[in-house]
Amino acid sequence: MTAQALHLMLLVGDVVPAPAPAALVDALRGARITSASGRTGGFQLTFAVSAGSEPARAVMPDGALHPRKRVVVAVVLAGRCHVLMDGVITHQEMHAAREPGRSFLVVTGEDLSALMDLEHVRRAYPGLPPHLRAATVCASYAQYGITPRTVAPVLTDQPNPLLDIPVQSSTDLAYLRSTAADVGHVFHVEHGPAPGVSTAYWGPQNRDGALQPALTTGCGAADNVEELSFAFDALADSDQRTHRLEPPSTTASEVIAPEPRLLRRSLAASPAQVQRTGTLGDQTGRTLTRTMLAGLGSRLATDAVTGRGTLDVLRYGHVLSAHRLVGVRGAGQAYDGRYFVAGVTHDLTRDTFRQHFTLVRDGLGADTRTVTP
Amino acid sequence: MIEPSSRYHAVPTTTYTFPDGRTVAHLRRRFLPRPEELTAVGEHVVAAGDRLDLIAARRCGDPEQSWRIADANRAMRPDELTAVPGRRLRITLPAEASAPGVGGGFAR
Repeated sequence: MTAQALHLMLLVGDVVPAPAPAALVDALRGARITSASGRTGGFQLTFAVSAGSEPARAVMPDGALHPRKRVVVAVVLAGRCHVLMDGVITHQEMHAAREPGRSFLVVTGEDLSALMDLEHVRRAYPGLPPHLRAATVCASYAQYGITPRTVAPVLTDQPNPLLDIPVQSSTDLAYLRSTAADVGHVFHVEHGPAPGVSTAYWGPQNRDGALQPALTTGCGAADNVEELSFAFDALADSDQRTHRLEPPSTTASEVIAPEPRLLRRSLAASPAQVQRTGTLGDQTGRTLTRTMLAGLGSRLATDAVTGRGTLDVLRYGHVLSAHRLVGVRGAGQAYDGRYFVAGVTHDLTRDTFRQHFTLVRDGLGADTRTVTP
Repeated sequence: MIEPSSRYHAVPTTTYTFPDGRTVAHLRRRFLPRPEELTAVGEHVVAAGDRLDLIAARRCGDPEQSWRIADANRAMRPDELTAVPGRRLRITLPAEASAPGVGGGFAR
């Protein structure tokens, strides 16, 4: 793959981003971008500066890189556009060197969910189930190109307005995260397909869909990862139990969280056995449905098998994206097969584009005989 | 199943019912982008014996993306683009990256 094949696009603006001035793009030395399932993504842009140059002026209060400005980073690789980051600047650092030509400016920010974490909100949602509450909260960020995509929980949890009314008393982001955790879901903002467009995803970890091009290791010249290591933690997963006292009866009954397969498909041939039993707290006064959903959520929070590695994007030929599935080959019978990409860090400099990734799965053994391509 | 690199990737499918009751799923029409709305990032001068897939491999990094060059140059017959040496072909960003208010950046 030639160097011609990769284009980087940097867009900045207040609410609607526009292409950055050429001087700013010329001064860009590197970018580091993280995105992970269920978490806020971050970015860090490094510019070379001199005292009177464009990037030095851009950090002034009316400049393009002032905190709270919106930044979009996208790459065009093999004719396809990948939006790596769509966020707001939260922090800037200027490193002024004594010798000329060594000064640099570091601008740090978070993805668009940082905007949802700025204000404490008190709001009531009478009679709305959790996924409709999440869609209502996300709808007020439509000006940033965010479209909500919410999935209903596996067990119906319709609050009765005569008995209880759900009230939000936190920031929007904290509320979305806590309602997602209560039913075993995740909340994050996914970027793309076009720059300036994002999807606010509130739903179960998406373990369906097409595989991304396989990660190959230990196959000599066909290798496309630089390193790949796996870890298997037998104590990661635990059964969740809690004792409940329904008002008319005087004996407590034990509630066991439902099987996680109810919410997500297994990716392994032999899922890890549960070794520990945990207790679920804070369930007093909750309905049985909500306790079961909360138990399911805490069982889903962890995965037994974790893989970490690094790849060179120009060698791999694609941009590995988080929140989707990928195949692994050449790692042996136990660790081959399909994985969920839980997080990716993109590391761009003027001449390299590396990715550090984290893969997760619930056990050992491939459940498929082939991975693409 | 349409690959993400295909020109038909984002085209929705629909079904048609024949008078005898059979139903067939098919792709909807694909509407071409307007070439003047695509952001140009370069130009390729056709040499004798050039082929569209070779140009796509060199300029985009993937020979299967030759349809993007045909789109950017309003080609009804892609063969005609490389028929005459010396013709200048536009190389553009993909349609989603050249939406209004978007474009520019640096090429490496």
